[in-house]
Amino acid sequence: MISMAEKHKIVVYALSTCPYCKRTKRFLDDHKVAYEHIDVDLLDDSKQDEVLDKVEKLTGMRSFPVVVIGTEHWVGHDEQRLKKALNL
Amino acid sequence: MSDAKVERVYCPVCLAKFKYSEGWSEGSVVVCPICGERLTLRKTADGWIGDRVDRGTEKEIRSRIDGFAEIRGYVFNDVKEDIVEGLLGKYKRFGDFYCPCRMEHVPEYQCPCKPTRGGDVEKNGKCHCGLFWKKA
Repeated sequence: MISMAEKHKIVVYALSTCPYCKRTKRFLDDHKVAYEHIDVDLLDDSKQDEVLDKVEKLTGMRSFPVVVIGTEHWVGHDEQRLKKALNL
Repeated sequence: MSDAKVERVYCPVCLAKFKYSEGWSEGSVVVCPICGERLTLRKTADGWIGDRVDRGTEKEIRSRIDGFAEIRGYVFNDVKEDIVEGLLGKYKRFGDFYCPCRMEHVPEYQCPCKPTRGGDVEKNGKCHCGLFWKKA
């Protein structure tokens, strides 16, 4: 059972240096959408392994950004998909 | 057929050797034909080595990516400046100009990365990061 909070939770897995990750974050900021972001490359080793495992299980790859909105997720900066998922 | 040994220059960026050309000498500044890096030639006991010019600076990485694009006939788009910023961030945090869109900080992912040098742009129309694009 997924709670309402989990259903609408937005998480962006990113690299601090990746331009497309920055665009996704900027898009969410510009639209005043609250989200959690994790810069995977800045995590310490053990935490990084844990998050990378999670990302790989979710997407089957190690590409960024990974956007998770409730039960939906995708890889890459996709404004149309963000707009649709967030009803913007 | 000449049996004269062809001299080669080692590039510390792409970790490959390229042909030493006539007219070059110790101190000459040349462009690596594989990755676009500007190198100052130095003769060692093991042969010719290129030392990176302006190492670690914005000037170095801009000159390298511009040089590589020129050699291959690739073009940039509006993502270029964001990627240059990412490359500078990689140097600052991880010690070299590794691909800003990858997690791995290994020599083969020095920009332009090995897959890009190996023809990814020809195959996919662009490199992994979307820095180098095949001309339309």
